[in-house]
Amino acid sequence: MFYGFHPFFYSYGKGRKLRNCLFFRFFAFCGFYSYTFFLQSVPSMSGEEEENAAELKIGDEFLKAKCLMNCEVALILEHKYEQLQQMSDDPMNQVSQVFEKSLQYVKRFSRYKNPDAVRQVREILSRYQLAEFELCVLGNLCPETVEEAIAMVPSIKTKGRAHDDEAIEKMLNDLSLIKKFE
Amino acid sequence: MFFHIVLERNMQLHPRYFGRNLRENLVSKLMKDVEGTCSGRHGFVVAITGIENIGKGLIRDGTGFVTFPVKYQCVVFRPFKGEILEAVVTMVNKMGFFAEAGPVQIFVSNHLIPDDMEFQSGDMPNYTTSDGSVKIQKDCEVRLKIIGTRVDATEIFCIGTIKDDFLGVINDPATA
Repeated sequence: MFYGFHPFFYSYGKGRKLRNCLFFRFFAFCGFYSYTFFLQSVPSMSGEEEENAAELKIGDEFLKAKCLMNCEVALILEHKYEQLQQMSDDPMNQVSQVFEKSLQYVKRFSRYKNPDAVRQVREILSRYQLAEFELCVLGNLCPETVEEAIAMVPSIKTKGRAHDDEAIEKMLNDLSLIKKFE
Repeated sequence: MFFHIVLERNMQLHPRYFGRNLRENLVSKLMKDVEGTCSGRHGFVVAITGIENIGKGLIRDGTGFVTFPVKYQCVVFRPFKGEILEAVVTMVNKMGFFAEAGPVQIFVSNHLIPDDMEFQSGDMPNYTTSDGSVKIQKDCEVRLKIIGTRVDATEIFCIGTIKDDFLGVINDPATA
């Protein structure tokens, strides 16, 4: 529409070559740019495609970072919430929706309420040469059988790692004991 | 999954906050700015738990604002493809159901619900097995696997499945 009034647009009709027409040049230009954008988008897409928690592909940054189990997050957020409560009368007004939702979520899905039990869970699981991420998935979901544990954390059984079924079973037993005596 | 990570941010501070309480002002502004935000790379920032260090401020040309590089520790929630987690069902319809795991929304399409579960409409829409033993409705707790994430600058949205071993309803508030 806009180019309709442009003199170059009409000049195309007056016998000029198509290549010199601004209209054509504009589209050639656009085409070229969309092509370069396409090239740029390819590597980032493939980077995202590789993310797979089942194979422990969660990116270097998160693999090295400290993972938190739901029960640990509950302790942290509740502590923070109490701090806010002391400062003002209506803490729910101050916190973000993300905070509020996370707090509700971790309260609902914490397997262990007692801070000592939480510490014990981490201590016991850390004896088994697990990655942080695997440790937290196990701590969060508390699988009961070996098959369930492997279904939840498939990377536990990948080659080159010394986890046979007995070791996993022992680990799950230890976990359930903490729960029992909490 | 929740993570505890260290992030960095350049904070711009107005000159009126300079003085004895500069650090406190900077930290409270950081909390206000950052908590509750979401980035595709790091996920949702749930809470700031500590400040690692505050670098030297740099006066901006022309404005008088000062930029401080601040390193802070925070709890973030970042969902991953292939991750298995528990979530609360928030809405059920014939296309599937929505569930929430903390700040993130997860959609489970009816193609990714086991084939023996049928949609039942009514004032409490739900998915039920033919023998009625398992029911997915609002406020149910389900265990699901994330199979896709859509990440844009300010939001993360996930697609999940319960069509796999050891996935599905954990407990139902109506029967419990």
